Amino acid sequence: MLQFKLVLLGDSSVGKSSIVNRFVKDTFDEFRESTIGAAFLSQSIKIKDPKTNQDVIIKFEIWDTAGQERYKSLAPMYYRNANAALVVYDITIADSLLKAKSWVNELKEKVGNSTDDNDNDNDNNNNNNNLVIHLVGNKLDLVEDDPEMRSVATEDAVKYSTDENLLFKEVSAKTDFNIKEVFQTIGEKLYEIRQKELDNNNNKQNKGEINISLPRPSTNDSTSCCS
Amino acid sequence: MGHNDFLSNAVPVKVNTLNFIPPKQRELKKSPSMPSFYKFENYTKHRSASINRSSIQLHDTNTPSRIPELLQEPPVDTVSVEDSFVDLYIDRNEESPVRSVFNRASSFQSTTLKRRSDITDPQHFDRYGFKKRTQFITEEEYDRWWSEYSQYCIRRKHKWRNFLLKSGLSLKNDLPEKFPPQSEKLKRYVRKGIPAEWRGNAWWYFARGDEMLNKNKGLYSKLLKKVEENKNNKNIIQDLDVIERDLNRTFPDNIHFYRESFQKEEPFMIQALRRVLLAFSIYDTEIGYCQSMNFLAALLLLFLSEEKAFWMLVIITKKYLPGVHSVNLEGVNVDQGVLILCIKEYLPELWSKMEASMLNTTGQKSISQFEILNKLPPMTLSTASWFMSCFVGVVPIETTLRIWDCLFYEKSHFLFKVSLAILKLSEEELLERKLSISQSILATFSNESLEHINSHGSGGSANHRSRPRVEDMTQDDYDMLFFQVIQTFPKKLLNPNDIFEKVIFKKKMTLNKLDQEEIDKVRKYVSSQRDKWARFNKVLNKDSSNNGNNDPGNKMLYKNLDDTSSIQEGTDNISLSNEEVMDTLLSEVSGFKRISLSGVNWNNSIKIRVKNIRQKK
Repeated sequence: MLQFKLVLLGDSSVGKSSIVNRFVKDTFDEFRESTIGAAFLSQSIKIKDPKTNQDVIIKFEIWDTAGQERYKSLAPMYYRNANAALVVYDITIADSLLKAKSWVNELKEKVGNSTDDNDNDNDNNNNNNNLVIHLVGNKLDLVEDDPEMRSVATEDAVKYSTDENLLFKEVSAKTDFNIKEVFQTIGEKLYEIRQKELDNNNNKQNKGEINISLPRPSTNDSTSCCS
Repeated sequence: MGHNDFLSNAVPVKVNTLNFIPPKQRELKKSPSMPSFYKFENYTKHRSASINRSSIQLHDTNTPSRIPELLQEPPVDTVSVEDSFVDLYIDRNEESPVRSVFNRASSFQSTTLKRRSDITDPQHFDRYGFKKRTQFITEEEYDRWWSEYSQYCIRRKHKWRNFLLKSGLSLKNDLPEKFPPQSEKLKRYVRKGIPAEWRGNAWWYFARGDEMLNKNKGLYSKLLKKVEENKNNKNIIQDLDVIERDLNRTFPDNIHFYRESFQKEEPFMIQALRRVLLAFSIYDTEIGYCQSMNFLAALLLLFLSEEKAFWMLVIITKKYLPGVHSVNLEGVNVDQGVLILCIKEYLPELWSKMEASMLNTTGQKSISQFEILNKLPPMTLSTASWFMSCFVGVVPIETTLRIWDCLFYEKSHFLFKVSLAILKLSEEELLERKLSISQSILATFSNESLEHINSHGSGGSANHRSRPRVEDMTQDDYDMLFFQVIQTFPKKLLNPNDIFEKVIFKKKMTLNKLDQEEIDKVRKYVSSQRDKWARFNKVLNKDSSNNGNNDPGNKMLYKNLDDTSSIQEGTDNISLSNEEVMDTLLSEVSGFKRISLSGVNWNNSIKIRVKNIRQKK
């Protein structure tokens, strides 16, 4: 079992808590109390090791945060040591994408992002943490009911995500569309990164703690280096 | 007098039991003199629960002289008496400009009208209109507990009545407006719970609401007018959107706050909540609107008239929790630092675990108190919300209200006391859970992952670490478990006496030493320490940028501190006087331990002096 810390960020009422609750408890409340401070939840998923085809259990420890601007001053506490960030916006509110973008910038500036594979061997990389960032446009159900409500075009978000090397999906916490997939993708990505790190540190006895050491140029492609 | 609104022009109510019989045991009563706690019983029949309150307000012959001017203002919902018990959500006043502002439906609202139908059956709700069942408590559990607790409430109310009568205070209409002067006895009574119908009045009295209101006569309606005039001006009402988005996310499971799909107009409570929050946001522009204030205001609205609720919100954010809701949230960070020092002082076992956790997260061999106070351990992400919302939503409602009783009587140190009590109880729960979870992990593990390891031999590095045994639960596992416990455990504290009698109220309990002076002192200390850290890092940051220091972790921290410190300097209530800085420098060497001990000694010496004086008398 691998454990990863995942943090949810995004403007107020874009549906962060709803996404987590759909993922963790498979429930949805139309009316959900605003999150104060942060909520902590955990959930495990299974992924397949792409090389050995074995099941791997990934446990997410999820920090769901309050969305209001002023809670940003607490944010470093949330994303300290985070392995992944889910940055959420509401596809019916254009402004919420702007907020999401500012979160992405902040994360990149302060934690770093390594969704870009080419980055991995880059020793000059300022990051000491391979943070996976997944952008998510929520409330797809509203747009399905009434296409007029859409305020953020899918193509725009896709383009932004490509430019910034983010993972991206549009989802609906209400209809449970693409929610599990988002976490699945993040899990696979984190696993991939972890394997690379292990390869890079293949001489070290790895005890399995969340490993934050700088990636070094790989000389060994084996996946089972430490077993 | 607050909830005169509940009892209004009451038939002198036979106090003893009526108010405390659980709703489902009572027959439906239609009298408008019913306390609004019970109005929801009529709800399914008449769908008029929240509007009853407004009609009651006008009905209320006891409405104090300050309120009428407000009630006469158009912004306040002016529903006539005859309107009660019909569906008042129909907008009968569409032309009113005020209504059009306040009914401004956002896209959020328009999509959120549906409700499950089971929600309307009154027996599922408690006396305040909250759903009995929560994620952590079943309705059966609730009913079982309530059948006993309601008896306790009746007994307490008897005692309160006698106490008040002996003190020569009026119990007119079973609604005292004045309470006895401060005393140990009164404190004990408050800690055992103020009768629910008196709460509004008692809170208002203890928090000196009248002083506030008298100084600011008519201001609330002026604020409402200003809100109305600037309804589309986001430069003046900056928090318009944020407030709007939170209205329907405030007590969505309370019958006074949710709207049935057939209701054309928003519930009265939502409208009142909007007015209070908007008015506050332009009244105190340093705070504006901070998420969590929606819960504070909403709970106040259940117990006090709109104008009083507004002033109580002002009192809470200014006097009781200064800086906690400010733009940079520094007040809440300071309070978390204080809480940590209190843990160190009063719950040393928990402290050592926290310390281990912080060392694990930071990868350091040692961590100074100075650093802890400034970086704050992750646990404070949970506990911050305890302070911001004064436990609304953190513990079940009856427990929340008991905490509020004491908060207004004993001031903010009580929140620390409750926090410590909850943490102490959580610790016990943690031990139990740790055992059972370790066992269940073992079980799951042998069913799932172990299989893979067995069948595939070296199952890849991923499986490497996890072969949990009770004794080698990792620090990460422990931390996760701890977060889970402190988040879920308080939600099960259905019975206020579980923490009040067993922990807070307990004699010989070390917690009793903790008092307001000590908290104020430590607050000052933590605040100055954080301030110093910020300045310190500003200097360091300049150095490090010159030296080309590339450590992103530090950079992140520095930047953040820079931001907060620059804001800090701008705000009066947080910036420090020379005297305070000197104080910090003096206490720097020995830190909290010295401060706290001297605080305790100082308090003790005061107590002894007071005792002596009393004896002389």
